[in-house]
Amino acid sequence: MTLYHFGNCVALLMPYYFTYKYSGLSEYGAFWKCVQAGCIYIFTQLCKMLVLATFFYSDTSSNSGEFNFFTEILRCSVDVADLLGFALILSRIPGKGHSKLITAGLGWATAEVILSRGIMLWVGARGTEFSWIYIQKCLESNVLLVQHLTTATLIWLFTRHDLNKALKPLVSILLAVTVFKGVWLEGMLHILSIGAWSAIAIKALVAAVIGFCSLHIYAGLAQQIGI
Amino acid sequence: MLNDADNFADIFRGGLPYYLLITLPILIFCSPCLASEFQVMSMIKFDVNGEHFGSRSSAISLEAKSLYTWNTGRHCVLARLLDISVSDLNEIRQKAGGLIVMLPKDVQALADDVKDHVLMLEQQMLQQSIPVPVYFAHFNKELEHIINDITYTAIDNDTKNKTAASQLLLSVSANGYHVTVDGQNSAANKNSKVPVIQGEFLPNQLPLKHMENTVEGSLPLILITASLKTFGIINDYPLNADAAVLMSLIEVFSKLHSMISTAPKYRIGFLLSDSGMLLNFQGSKKWLEMDDNMSLQNVEFVLCLDTITQSLTNNQPNVLYLHVSKPPKEKTSISQFFKLLKSVAGHHAENITVEGVHKKINLADLKLSWEHERFSMKRYPAFTLSSVKAPGSPFRTTMFRDNEAHIVQQTITAVKIIAETLACYMYKIDTLSEVFSGDAVISEANILPYLGVKSILQNNDIKDGFEKYLKNVKIIYDKPDAREPDFMFYNGIDAKLNVYRVKPAIFDLFLTIAISLYLSTVYLAIQFFPNFYGVVSTNSNDSIGNFFRNSQNALKRK
Repeated sequence: MTLYHFGNCVALLMPYYFTYKYSGLSEYGAFWKCVQAGCIYIFTQLCKMLVLATFFYSDTSSNSGEFNFFTEILRCSVDVADLLGFALILSRIPGKGHSKLITAGLGWATAEVILSRGIMLWVGARGTEFSWIYIQKCLESNVLLVQHLTTATLIWLFTRHDLNKALKPLVSILLAVTVFKGVWLEGMLHILSIGAWSAIAIKALVAAVIGFCSLHIYAGLAQQIGI
Repeated sequence: MLNDADNFADIFRGGLPYYLLITLPILIFCSPCLASEFQVMSMIKFDVNGEHFGSRSSAISLEAKSLYTWNTGRHCVLARLLDISVSDLNEIRQKAGGLIVMLPKDVQALADDVKDHVLMLEQQMLQQSIPVPVYFAHFNKELEHIINDITYTAIDNDTKNKTAASQLLLSVSANGYHVTVDGQNSAANKNSKVPVIQGEFLPNQLPLKHMENTVEGSLPLILITASLKTFGIINDYPLNADAAVLMSLIEVFSKLHSMISTAPKYRIGFLLSDSGMLLNFQGSKKWLEMDDNMSLQNVEFVLCLDTITQSLTNNQPNVLYLHVSKPPKEKTSISQFFKLLKSVAGHHAENITVEGVHKKINLADLKLSWEHERFSMKRYPAFTLSSVKAPGSPFRTTMFRDNEAHIVQQTITAVKIIAETLACYMYKIDTLSEVFSGDAVISEANILPYLGVKSILQNNDIKDGFEKYLKNVKIIYDKPDAREPDFMFYNGIDAKLNVYRVKPAIFDLFLTIAISLYLSTVYLAIQFFPNFYGVVSTNSNDSIGNFFRNSQNALKRK
């Protein structure tokens, strides 16, 4: 609508900064680490695009707006590469304790926001036409931040050998749930034809539940190994 | 992020500033386009005799308002044609910032009084200069929806008396629309010209030899004229039935002329120009001023055709009016023709009556009412045949038209009556006899090829038709004088209308407040996260351990 509206949308992305500032990352000077994590995000996305373009038949013209279950499963199976990307970040970027995970999640989420929402916000929210979609997308980015932090935690837990054996399947299930969220969550929202606002609320709820479970497991392990 | 200054300085040490130099302009020029886009037609703009007509400006970038809510020059009125009244139009003309009119879906289907209203409004718009930009859009569901939206929110606002708080809430949640039309200001077309085409049937040479005392030039001349309308309220082509009548008259009389036995003792001249009433019959004016036109001696009469077929059906009686500038005396050619026309119409066509109308020429008025006045002023006996009675009838300039079948039928009848009357007049035969029957019958085939003609210059259709049957065919052009142009056209380009949905500025303020509330919640949540984490971590080992121990126990029990 106006530059002011654009400002409003960007203000909604402030939780990213809060996370950086108040989680102690700023004290470690972890800025470059976040940028590196972002670079790994870009690298992962490029690889994913290459795979998608090479091996998957994309039929975007025929089913525009329709929710195609099979296509979504295929696409989500490629999203497993995201997990590899996270694993790469966790193994490559040095860090201590909690900050390592937050660096990975925050760097990843920030890169995603800038690359996938940046142009849309700049071009759309500044334009004359008003639409709620920009505010919605920014709120959704907040949910995604939580989700990416959760994913980083889960991956870290998954790679640990000293994790309680009984918890291993739970972590794997949570990971699978996170990766295939595109199928089951979006599919459910589509079938129930839930409005955009309630969809964000449901996504936030799902992210909070998964996040809480991961936090619970993580807290236990962290206390065990003493970080 | 002041404490990260070192990190940021690292970024700017590299090549980033140069990249920014490239990307920033690109970002700034990235203009969004998510709006609904409509094709609109700009209102016509032209000058005649130094007077300006039509919409004089073209660009709009204003807030859209309905017919009932606009109040300043910063509002652009968005309305249906049927909702606008003449007084509305006058008010908009003086105060509003612009007008966008959606045409009705189907003009034919409207009731008669509504049609009259549409025609009257159209004529009203054409008769004056409108300083604000005016655009016309075809019927469109999306645009209809937008018009409904702005109309109904307005009505809600007005009717219910609300408290200040709810008013404020309403003003925050209200949907606004911003309209832009990227119309370039149309420049005067320096090449404006009005083509005029003339032609005549030369009498057959053979019978002339038998009449020793006749010379070619002294044969009496019957001149038939018509004008082609090349524009109406928008830059489109109205129905040109008069030209079709003229062309079919040429065709049917060429058959009579080609045979020696039936060649009349008259010369018949034809004149067709691209200038109708809106252009003050500039074409015939120019033609009369020329020296080398068809020798205008011994003129029997000049027959002008004007709106011989009404393009929109109306429940008016089917009358053919013969307009003259002074009442014809007995035994003059015009009164003779009038009598013949009356009796022919009575015999050959059902329910068509002929009436004479007399209107004096107002010499003080620069604008003439009828084409025959141009000839009458030069003392040629002239009259106009028309289906409309009043010179100010909106049918003469309307853009709206009926279905083809009805028009064709009416036009054929008109051609039939005129042709029979002319034949009776020239051969001095009884009105009961039918000349154009059998082989020479007048049918759709005579009319249809010329009904869609748009201009004399278009595809040379008219020129070819003239040259096929007539002699002395000549096209002359009337060009406006460079200093004092009699008429001027403007280049009109159909523009695009963009309608953006916008929110009032106060809405953004509210949004800012809501967002800051949300952010402070997030801030607090992050501040209290360590406490939360502490609670979780103390509970976690025990509870998870307990949970799994319990579940394993449960499994064992099973």
